[in-house]
Amino acid sequence: MYIVIGGSAGSFQAVTALLASIPRNYPHTIFLCLHRLKNVRGGFVEALSLKSNIPICEPYDKDTAMPGVAYLAPANYHMYIDANNQFSLSTEEPINHSRPSIDVTFCSIANTYKENAIGILLSGANKDGALGLKAIKDAGGTVIVQSPDECQVKTMTSAAIKITEVDYIMLTNNIIDYLKNL
Amino acid sequence: MFESADILNFIKALRDYGRYDFSNYSEKSFTRRVEKIMMDYKLDIPQLISKIKTDRNFMEQVVRDITVNTTELFRDPQVWHAIKYRILPRLASKREINIWHAGCSTGLEVYSMIILLNEMGMLHRCHIYATDLNTDVLKTAQKGVYSYRSISEYLENFNKVLCENPYNFDEHLVVTYEKYFEFNKIKDIFKVKEEFLNIATFQKHDLVNDPNPFDVSYDIILCRNVLIYFNNTLQNKLFLDFWKYLDTYGSLVLGIHESIIGPTSAKYEKRGLIYNKKVF
Repeated sequence: MYIVIGGSAGSFQAVTALLASIPRNYPHTIFLCLHRLKNVRGGFVEALSLKSNIPICEPYDKDTAMPGVAYLAPANYHMYIDANNQFSLSTEEPINHSRPSIDVTFCSIANTYKENAIGILLSGANKDGALGLKAIKDAGGTVIVQSPDECQVKTMTSAAIKITEVDYIMLTNNIIDYLKNL
Repeated sequence: MFESADILNFIKALRDYGRYDFSNYSEKSFTRRVEKIMMDYKLDIPQLISKIKTDRNFMEQVVRDITVNTTELFRDPQVWHAIKYRILPRLASKREINIWHAGCSTGLEVYSMIILLNEMGMLHRCHIYATDLNTDVLKTAQKGVYSYRSISEYLENFNKVLCENPYNFDEHLVVTYEKYFEFNKIKDIFKVKEEFLNIATFQKHDLVNDPNPFDVSYDIILCRNVLIYFNNTLQNKLFLDFWKYLDTYGSLVLGIHESIIGPTSAKYEKRGLIYNKKVF
């Protein structure tokens, strides 16, 4: 399966918890699209890697995605996944004031992986990600939203729930169980 | 949304009526550009194609709309430090230095280079060439006029590149941007000073179809965040083209998340963020 996780303000804790729970040699591929401050370009991979059991990397353009690795959208680029698990980066204008945009990555995952895609949207302060999550659902994939009650900022998850009939609304701990049993 | 056959017909129309070849562009980012064009003009693919066939100006506008025009002043300071401390010192004894910005967009990278060369006292020995497929951005580049709001956030990079030396923390120079730019916050204008305009040669050029646009070999080719819109096949063709156009031991500078993979990678030696031409 191909798991894509999107998050913005208030999502760092949930993301690190998810990554910490994923076992070595995980058979699925993970994509992360997280908003961050424009000037914080380095150090993010290192921060996420501290507790993670699987390698985390920012892909180069045209790299191939492999199972058991988490790929973080690089700062200041949009991240697409083309056929053959190949990354394509782009510096198109920000979408929803965001580059990387969660919608861009989610839509491209929806289109490439269809029913093999799992989209997870976490805490965030803007609407980026809502349309992308809908695209994954419409393409036959599974979509999960972090319970808005648990989110530090609910804007993102609420926007997604409003326009998509999501499969699961879960606390971080339940998302962890879901991913472990996949 | 539309079928992939629609995209192929759209690409064919641009090839037949405009001699532009988008067939080797990265699939998803190209599709997203086309979707944006459909929304902006409120046309579906068959309507777009029929307008491309009958209206030459519209066809050229669509081509300009497909191109992505992001450029920043001193984008990624670590790359500029590599240019400043790794590439340029090697060229210090050369009488003439040729630099090509391939896919220069609105020219901020070109002016970054001019500023750096001027600070290093090398500008008078350099020929700076800059090309893009999009003639609108070339006009902006030639005028050197930008929005103050868009640029003010990059002034931090200006200071990092020109004032700091990551290899020697004791070194700290003072260079103010007033030396190079005039600005007006209220009118939202940020303008390159007259004496630094008309140094670079700007020209329209299609990387996919056209040969070397200038009759020279380059010491440095900068092509940053341009080839990411192309697939592997086209990227490799261009890495080979650049290799031919580079002077002996010339350097190719790509975006920080780009790399040379595939058959042409053996023709370059990677040193940090820079690719140097290998000569066999």
